[in-house]
Parts: sequence; C-alpha cells; structure tokens
Amino acid sequence: MQEIVRAEGLRKTFTLSKKQQRIEKTGETRKIAVDGLSFSAYRGEIYGLLGPNGAGKTTTLRMLSTLIRPDAGDAVIAGHSVVKEPDKVRDKIGFMTSELKLEKFFTPDYLFDFFGAMHGVPKEKLAARKRELFSRFGIDRFRGVRVGDLSTGMLQKVSLVVAIVHDPAVVIFDEPTNGLDVLTAKVVTDFLLELKAMGKSILLSTHIFSLVEKLCDRVGVIIDGRLIAEGTLQELCGEMQLEDKFFEIYRAVKGEIV
Amino acid sequence: MKLIALMKKEFHRFFHDPRLIVTMLLPGILLYVIYSIMGTAMYAEKEPQAYKVYVGGSSAAVSVIETAIAATGDTVEWLPLEDEEAARAEVERGEAAAVLLFSENFDEFPQDSSVRIVYNGAEEKSSNFYAIAGAALESYGMRFSVIPESVKSDEEIGRTLFAGFLPFLIVTLIFSTCMGVTIESVAGEKERGTLSTILATSAPRFQIALGKVIPLSCIASIGAASSFLGVALSMPKLMGVSLGAFGGYPVWSYLLIFLLILSLVPLIVASITTVSTLSRSVKEASAYTSVIMILFMLLSIVSAFVPTMGDWVVCIPILNAVGAMGSLFAGQIPVWQSLVSVGLNFVYSALLVLLMTKFLSSERVMFGK
Ligand SMILES: Nc1ncnc2c1ncn2[C@@H]1O[C@H](COP(=O)(O)OP(=O)(O)OP(=O)(O)O)[C@@H](O)[C@H]1O
Ligand SMILES: [Mg+2]
Repeated sequence: MQEIVRAEGLRKTFTLSKKQQRIEKTGETRKIAVDGLSFSAYRGEIYGLLGPNGAGKTTTLRMLSTLIRPDAGDAVIAGHSVVKEPDKVRDKIGFMTSELKLEKFFTPDYLFDFFGAMHGVPKEKLAARKRELFSRFGIDRFRGVRVGDLSTGMLQKVSLVVAIVHDPAVVIFDEPTNGLDVLTAKVVTDFLLELKAMGKSILLSTHIFSLVEKLCDRVGVIIDGRLIAEGTLQELCGEMQLEDKFFEIYRAVKGEIV
Repeated sequence: MKLIALMKKEFHRFFHDPRLIVTMLLPGILLYVIYSIMGTAMYAEKEPQAYKVYVGGSSAAVSVIETAIAATGDTVEWLPLEDEEAARAEVERGEAAAVLLFSENFDEFPQDSSVRIVYNGAEEKSSNFYAIAGAALESYGMRFSVIPESVKSDEEIGRTLFAGFLPFLIVTLIFSTCMGVTIESVAGEKERGTLSTILATSAPRFQIALGKVIPLSCIASIGAASSFLGVALSMPKLMGVSLGAFGGYPVWSYLLIFLLILSLVPLIVASITTVSTLSRSVKEASAYTSVIMILFMLLSIVSAFVPTMGDWVVCIPILNAVGAMGSLFAGQIPVWQSLVSVGLNFVYSALLVLLMTKFLSSERVMFGK
C-alpha cells in the first residue's frame, strides 16, 4: 500500500475573540482545534475522518488543502508538503466543501474552463476532460444554463466536477452529505464511488456512521483534535457496530456522554 | 495566463449583465439631465442682459466679443475709457460690467501685447461677461496674454465653479461609479464564498488581486468617462455660456485632465477592493467605503478653499490630482505637477494591490470566524 496523504503532528490553535469566548462558553483566549494529529491515507482508498461536532475535522481538512497553515507539524500530499509547497499541493488536490461556492451567474461550461485555467490545465487537455466528465455525469444538457438556475442535484454535480477539473490525485471532501436531501446526497455518494473507480484517493470527514460504513475503506476517529483510533472498519470494530464502537471509544476518552 | 483568465471573468460578468452596465452609465446620463434642467431653469427665464463695458485702446477683438455676447441673446454697450479710476469704481459698484484695456497696437500682436479685463467676481453679471469675453479672446488667438483682474474678491464665480467645484464633482462621480461594481465584485464574492473557491486553486494571490483591480478599473473608467462627459456637456448650459465648457483650453490641458482622471480610477478602485477584502460582508464593506468616500471628498474639496498650497501637495493622493485639475480649469498648464501626480497615483494603486495580496494570503482575513 502506497501512502498518498501523510499528516504528522498537525496542530492548530485559534485566538478567540470576546464574542467567540461567549459562544464557546469559555474564558480561555486560545482554543486548540487540532492537537498533534497524525494519520496516513493510502492510494486508491476512501479514508474517513470520523468525529463529533468541534472535533477539528474541518480545521484538519483546511490545513491539508492549504487554506490555513498549521502552527506545527506538516502533511505530505502526493509528494508535496502543505507547509513548504502549498501551490503544488493545490494542484494535486480537489477540495470540496459547502463553503466553497460557484458564482451563480456563470454556466457550467464557463466555470469549468475558468477553474481549468486557474489550475493551469492546457487547453486541449481541458477540452477533452470536459467532454469526458460532462457526459459521464450527465451535465452535457445543462452546460449552457446559469448555475443559479440549476436544480440542487445538478448544481452539486457541477461543483464536484469543477473541483476535479485539474485531474487531482487526491480529493478532500468536508462533510460530503451535510445538509443535502436524500436524492442530492445520493448524487454525492455515487460520485465519490465513481471517483474511487477512476483511481482517485479520497479523504473525507463526517459524523455520520452510515456514510463511513457505506463508503470508507479505512477510518480515523478524531476527538478533541486528536486521533484516537485508526484502521479498516474490520480492524476497528471487529464484530461490533461502528456506532457502538464509536461511543465506547468516546466514553473511554471523555468519560460520560453528556 | 491565470491573470488573463481572472480578468476575462470580471469583464464577462460585467458585459453580460445589462443591469450592471446601466448602473455604470446612469450617473453620467442622470447628471447631464439634472444639470441641463438646472441650467435651463437658471437661464431660461433670464432677461436679456445689457452689459456696460469701458474700452481702453482699440482692437477688432471687441467685435468678436460682441458676437459671442449676441449669441447668448445679450447686448453690449461699449463706452470709451476716459477716467480709469471712475470706471473701476463703477465696476466695483456693479454699475458697469467690466473695463477692457488693450495694449498699444494690439491687433498687430507685438511681443508683449496683452488685454486686461477688470471685472467684479462678486457680481454675477460681471463674471458672466468675463467668462464669455475670456473664452472669446482665447479663441481669437494665443499670441497675447489675457490678464484678468477682479476688483472685488479673487474667487470669481465662474472660476471657482470650474477650478474648485468641478474636480470635487469628478472625484465624487468616479468614486460612486467605482463603488457599485467594486464592492459587489470583491466583498460580494467573499460573502458568497466564491472567492474562497478561487483561493483553493493554485492561482497566485497577487494575480487574483490584480485580476480584480485591473478589470474593475477599466470598467469604472467607462463610468467615469460617462460622468465626466455628462458634466462637460451640461456645464455650458449650467453656466449659460454657449462657447463650450472647455472652449479655449489647449489640447495639452485636455490630455492632462484625462490622464489625471485616469490615474484616480485605479487608486479609488484599489482602495475599495482592499477594504472589501478586509470586510466580512457587503454591508461591512459599504460602511468602510463610505468612510473612505468622505475622506476623499474632503481631500478634493480642500483645494477649493485653500488656493495656495506648497509643492508637497503632489505627494498626497487625490489632493494632488484635484489641485492639478483646478489649475488646469483655471487656465494654467501645470505639466510637472500633473505628471508627477499621475505617476504617484499609479504607484499608490500598486501599493494597495500589494496590500490586498497580503490580505488575500492571510487566513485570518479570508477564513477567520
Ligand atoms: N477560525 C476559527 N476561530 C476560532 N475558533 C475556531 C475557528 N475555526 C474553528 N474553531 C474552533 O475549533 C474547533 C474545531 O472546529 P472544526 O470546525 O474543525 O470542527 P469540526 O470537527 O469540523 O466540527 P463540525 O462537525 O461542527 O463541523 C471548534 O471548537 C471551533 O469552534
Ligand atoms: Mg466541520
């Protein structure tokens, strides 16, 4: 098994404003969101980071996608360090999250070309890739429709396709199905399985057990910014249900569940 | 390559949205309409004026002035100048419009030929005569000098309007046209989360900043040109002068005014994009931008009230261009002041682009909660 993502001692601390302190109900001015996190994901697999709200999943994925810098530690993705070569990493990954949006005014056609140019994809390669992806995911008929006028499911597909315009080796996906209705959620999970079939490595975060069971080859359990357990579903759970195993781990770390 | 794609996107966004194009052109059209109506209202009802003017010396220029005056529907009564002191006193009291003093053999244009116009800046009638006569004399030929001399205040109405108020108007207009497109494009994109999508690619932050400032400046230039044309075309009507607002100004002046306006656009756009990058929402960006707008408006009105300022003024953005424009509208040609101002304004814009690049690279600014 070849490592494609390797995180080592990732750490991120945020300075809390007065308002954030009130929201978090704490007097501390600093919040350790990710606390020395290490894990490895292998080529061609779907790796899931499973954790409750506030565990540090989004923060971890943002560090991996180079949107924010770790305070300490580093991660190597497809051979490039997120700290030392963020630009190279950005061309190797496709980052998907509900926070990254597409301008409603443009068409899928235009956006595909635009983001292709942003990643420096050569023209001919881009055209070929557009033909392939648009027909594969049924976007062809909607290529000239403004993104704002598309159905939620189609919009989701377009966002996903645009995120992999540059044929990245690794796809990083924060909460793939959060806030989606059942149909759109299926579009996304099918898309991820399709990507896996295309040989991509996928790293996702979630707090939904069924999603992990359905998609993930291996899983890392993350609580309070630390990796508590890691392995294939089989290794992690044995005969137990993932849900039961997770709460067992949680209780061991945090005491009682509030 | 990436910069070009980024710039194309802004242009595409703009030119495919009729609403945005209209918002850009509207201020100019609106101004033209408003000022024309104001001008027409101010002068439509006016009684034909009869100007009483004393002439010392003689020149065929008198008939040129008379023709110009006649074109506005007024008449002139020319009186030979006998007692200069008495004539001046009449001008001061507002009984006579002006005193014209031609130098000897004026029409042969000897080396130092000149015409002195004594008028009263505080009297509307007298300033009107001066504005028309001055413009007519300019068109008569440039081989002599016109020496205006106001018997009352130095700030005669026509000049103040041009030299003081017009640059202010121009800055305000450029600002309002820049504001609409820029806040929408930068703070709007940040608020909607589409800017983060671009930041997640390997596009260099500097190119993202330039990819905003350059196209937005080009677009805002269209708006600025529209506003400027609106002012320029309606100004003659507003002033009741039929010779064209800038009639008599040499080509150099036009060119410098154009350059000065052009240098203000990126400066203003870059200021707004920079604060928009800092803001969390369009609302916040609008609030910051109005503060900048007030600051810029203050800077641009200052020069109208403080007529003599040192050379250091060229170092201050906005004030430098406004000062230079004021001198240009007053008939001077401050070449160095204008060129240095233009150059410095571009330098300031470049510095703001660098600042914006810094903000775009800052995770606190872009991804902080
Ligand atoms: N920019 C920030 N400033 C201050 N605190 C932050 C910031 N980003 C995250 N945090 C805090 O860090 C902790 C981890 O947040 P993070 O968003 O990574 O969790 P998560 O696992 O993604 O949770 P969720 O399931 O709610 O998305 C939380 O307590 C959060 O409030
Ligand atoms: Mg999250």
